[in-house]
Amino acid sequence: MDLEILNSAVRISTPLVFAAMGGLLTYQAGMLNIALDGFMIVAAFTAVATAYFTGSLELALLAAILASMLLAALMAMFNIKFRAHIFIAGTAVTFLAYGLTALLLKGVLGQDGVFTSDRIPTFPVIHLPVIENIPIIGEIFSGHTILVYVAYVFVPIVAWTLYQTKWGLQLRVVGEAPEAAAAAGINVDWVKFQAMLLSGLFCGFAGAYLSLAYVSLFANKMTNERGLIALAAIFFARGNPYLTAMVAILFGTATALSVRLPQVTGLAPQLLQLIPYVVTVLALVLVGWRTTRARSRHSAWRFDIG
Amino acid sequence: MPDASVPVVSMRNIVKRFGNFTAIHSASMDIRRGEIHALVGENGAGKSTLMNILYGLLPRTDGDIDLRGEPVRFANPKEAIALGIGMVHQHFKLAPSFTVAENIILGSEPLKSFGRLDRIRAERETKAISERFGLNLDPRAIIATLPVGLRQRVEILKALYREAEILILDEPTAVLTPQETRELFATMRSLADSGHSIIFITHKLREVLAVSDRISVMRQGRILSTIDNKNVTAQEIASLMVGRSVLLRVAKNEAKPTGELLLDVKGLTALGERGETAVDNLSLSVSAGEIVGLAGVQGNGQDELVECIAGLRRPVGGQVQICGTPLRPNPRGNREAGLAYIPADRGDLGLSLESSIWENMTVGHLGKFKAGPFFAATRAKQRAAELIARFDVRGATPDKAAGSLSGGNQQKVQIARELTRDARLIIAEQPSQGVDIGAIEAIHRTLVEMRDAGRAVFVVSADLDEVLSISDRVLVIYRGRIVANLKAADTDAEEVGRYMGGLDEEPASVGALPKETQHVV
Amino acid sequence: MSFETTGSGPGMAVLNFCRPAVQPIVAVLIATIVGGLLVLALGENPIEVYGLLISGSLVGVPNLLVTLQMMTPLLFTGLAVAISFRAGLWNIGAEGQMLVGALFAGVVGYAFPMPWFLHLPLAILAGFVGGGLWSAIPALLRVYLGVNELVVCLMLNPIALLLTGFFATHVFKAPGPTNKLPDIAPSAALPTFSVYSQVNAGIFIALACCIIFAIINVRTVRGFEWKIMGLSPRFAYYGGINVPRRAIWVMILSGGIAGLAGAEQVLGQYGAFYDNFSPGYGFDGIAVAMLANFNPIGVIVAAFLFGALNGGSGVLQMMTGLSKYLVQVLQFITVLVLAAQFSWDWLILRLFPEPPPKSPDAVEPVNATPTEA
Repeated sequence: MDLEILNSAVRISTPLVFAAMGGLLTYQAGMLNIALDGFMIVAAFTAVATAYFTGSLELALLAAILASMLLAALMAMFNIKFRAHIFIAGTAVTFLAYGLTALLLKGVLGQDGVFTSDRIPTFPVIHLPVIENIPIIGEIFSGHTILVYVAYVFVPIVAWTLYQTKWGLQLRVVGEAPEAAAAAGINVDWVKFQAMLLSGLFCGFAGAYLSLAYVSLFANKMTNERGLIALAAIFFARGNPYLTAMVAILFGTATALSVRLPQVTGLAPQLLQLIPYVVTVLALVLVGWRTTRARSRHSAWRFDIG
Repeated sequence: MPDASVPVVSMRNIVKRFGNFTAIHSASMDIRRGEIHALVGENGAGKSTLMNILYGLLPRTDGDIDLRGEPVRFANPKEAIALGIGMVHQHFKLAPSFTVAENIILGSEPLKSFGRLDRIRAERETKAISERFGLNLDPRAIIATLPVGLRQRVEILKALYREAEILILDEPTAVLTPQETRELFATMRSLADSGHSIIFITHKLREVLAVSDRISVMRQGRILSTIDNKNVTAQEIASLMVGRSVLLRVAKNEAKPTGELLLDVKGLTALGERGETAVDNLSLSVSAGEIVGLAGVQGNGQDELVECIAGLRRPVGGQVQICGTPLRPNPRGNREAGLAYIPADRGDLGLSLESSIWENMTVGHLGKFKAGPFFAATRAKQRAAELIARFDVRGATPDKAAGSLSGGNQQKVQIARELTRDARLIIAEQPSQGVDIGAIEAIHRTLVEMRDAGRAVFVVSADLDEVLSISDRVLVIYRGRIVANLKAADTDAEEVGRYMGGLDEEPASVGALPKETQHVV
Repeated sequence: MSFETTGSGPGMAVLNFCRPAVQPIVAVLIATIVGGLLVLALGENPIEVYGLLISGSLVGVPNLLVTLQMMTPLLFTGLAVAISFRAGLWNIGAEGQMLVGALFAGVVGYAFPMPWFLHLPLAILAGFVGGGLWSAIPALLRVYLGVNELVVCLMLNPIALLLTGFFATHVFKAPGPTNKLPDIAPSAALPTFSVYSQVNAGIFIALACCIIFAIINVRTVRGFEWKIMGLSPRFAYYGGINVPRRAIWVMILSGGIAGLAGAEQVLGQYGAFYDNFSPGYGFDGIAVAMLANFNPIGVIVAAFLFGALNGGSGVLQMMTGLSKYLVQVLQFITVLVLAAQFSWDWLILRLFPEPPPKSPDAVEPVNATPTEA
């Protein structure tokens, strides 16, 4: 296989891994955060705008993360404090973010649709000292920007935090049995709020990566449903961090192939792009089929909605 | 032994209002060190509310609480826990897929550096504390795999792990078998002897007398008095609880069962939520013109049995016949066969609390207001207004939301809807749960009237006194089987209680009733 | 959702009576204020901007006709979302259902020429069937396998986009550089009335659907059953309503109506199925339905409002330094505010400091934290 494809799969998967780690924390805290795309687009815009005006990558990254977390705080406020249905709040926040970034693109940067400029700095490529020289591995894993490595380092950190720390235990209990957590003196709303903020943090990285490292521009709706693909990975892996990251990478690889393979095989790119969504629906069907088969013969009828 | 000096907790003139509704008018009580203090009262008397205030779950409107002589005001349970107050709720607050140790340490986790959990220490400490109090538990067991009695131990250990000196137990025996109850009482006694103070919320008088040192009686948001266990009889407490002497029996004539079986359950087997056998080859029958009560400790298959009869659960074996029609698991068919069902779970199953009262009264009667595809809403509302008057639903208008009514009046809405159906079999599940005493009498009277009108009435209740007072015949369910079939007039709480504990398992020959017990004298 | 609280006093009575209308108005007001501040921050005059939005959409016949054109798909998708939400089914897949409906209508529109009185109804029906089939997937999975329909709808939206894109680029692609199906035959076109806008006979179908569903909701047994199962499905099932079957059909109807939006776009506005033609009408439908409080007549009002905003946004883009996306921002601020459950009680508390009474039995089982599923 063409190593170039694997190399680009690593890059393409990076925002998915970031977003999936963000979505995973809210998933474990009992919230289905579908606003990942919204968080990312705001971060992507803020990153480009800040980089354009200040020329500083560090400031741009910081601003992207802050903007994304601010939106996450808004989402958390409506969902947790005002008890808005999380899917409705998530949809509203996402489309609000799409609209707002498009509005600001015109209002602040004076462009419709796409903005790019020579003045935008991009993240430099890093060559890993030893690994670079290992034949195949070097070609795949070396020569990425710092954010790529950050994304993959976050996976074990998230896993460790969830399963080895006090905070992680509390977060998971809040997700599974909020009343048990409350009775143990845990501030459930605050834990959920933190999870949502961290979701914003990770999506901030994802957005900044998209607009300053993966490409060097901002375009309306440039996240291209990456948040949804990340969510699909979370569902597929049932919230396990390593598995989620692996599935996210697989989905990213499918996307990478969808760009390359049609040139070789003449296959329609859409068919490969479908994979994450279709696979997730199939996984949901399988899980549903198993539980239903286990329950249906004896169980009480339930139709719980929401 | 109770130490009469300084009380560890002193609550004075506690008031709690929810909007315009006053839940607690003025409640004062003292808890001494090392005592078991029973807090008794009817459902809705305010016991749990008062204890939730002490535990910091609810803010109080007025009044003072002193803990070991210091005034306190808890914003949340965390603050109460920190000062040595623990509470075991009626519905356990445990995370089912986590281990015993994880549940116990939750909220006060032993840590290593960098905020890491110290699992080894957690398990060691869990082991140590469970051995210290004689409550054996495997720290690594997953909660979901434990029986109810052991889960309760986890709850108690959770409080003890936080060094609780004051332990509030909210209706702890409701889910326990008599054997488990005895073990719990032994634990409570040994805890009290080691200096813990225990507040024991209950409405079961026998238990109060068996285990407590002092008793506080609560009625309608007030603590009426605190009495020493030595100087009191059950009858006296009961009178205090309800405000007048209790009617032990519902006034009713002799039943005249016709022998026509309107409910006939044969060899029914059903599984519970976790796939366990909840109803085990069970047979029973209810004839027209009699009230049959089903007694049993909660969780012995009553819920699954009733769900099967109502068509809400699919049995794995056996058959249910209503008025001679064999049933398929589908509530619609069961209702058409002649079932009226008053469920215990008003909020979720029996009513739609957000819908208006007329809509709640119309569901199940849609056929009456149908003209082709169209629906006569005006007539349905008129009928609802009539039913509100006829069943004396207080504070109701047809357009008001059902959730705005009090529990007792919600119950009346359910009853009005179900009993006006043309149904010959009535199943009433916990008919007096959360209902004030006046309304209970009215409900019981209605059920007796239904019986006298030739219908079959099947009452399922966790309240043994209710079962005994309303039924003509009492069945006892234990582990999914009927273990006793007794004439209500010939038995007493003592005997039924023994069967409920499964101590005297009778060879099952209950489907076919012995002739002499069929007619109640 | 919280219980409807019934207060005391004449002021409260009036407020409770107006409740269905006041809540959306408050939400729109909040969105207007927030949007105005945003406009101000971008260095434009909010009053001028809102003036332009109104004059650009409502003043003059051409503008009004554009508003009606913009309103038509929102009527369909808003109604689709409204009937499913009212029955307790969270169909957020209207976007995908619309795309599939559009594809079906587009294929029937070009591939099977026949007399117009057969062709047009058949093409419209194809749109309905396409949307209905697409929504049957989450419906059947929901009822038979207990799979959350929200998640399935969420995933089916991009699947629909990619699949229809695949058909438009690889299967039925029209010759030429554009990714589209061949133009529909004139016999399948919805008649238009004006040179100023693409508004077509589809708007009458949409309005008729709204009115029919308004009648169904209030006057028929089905409408009653949908409402009950929406508020409490277990109660409805217990009471003898066949909830699983109703749920499947509500979802199919909802998807079918969303499919009609696609048919209207293809047969009335574009004249062919174009890949990726929708600017997100299916999601706008959620906004319309929320603003309408799931009431079909309310859908007409809400679709008109958002249609007007969309219509006026073109003028806005030409006349000021602002983007047409201001409208999207306003729209989804409205949704966010409406989704929050604080708005009404919060307002009442501000107006009438005495809190409304709660039911007494809210007292015993007190929970520290009400939790959201």
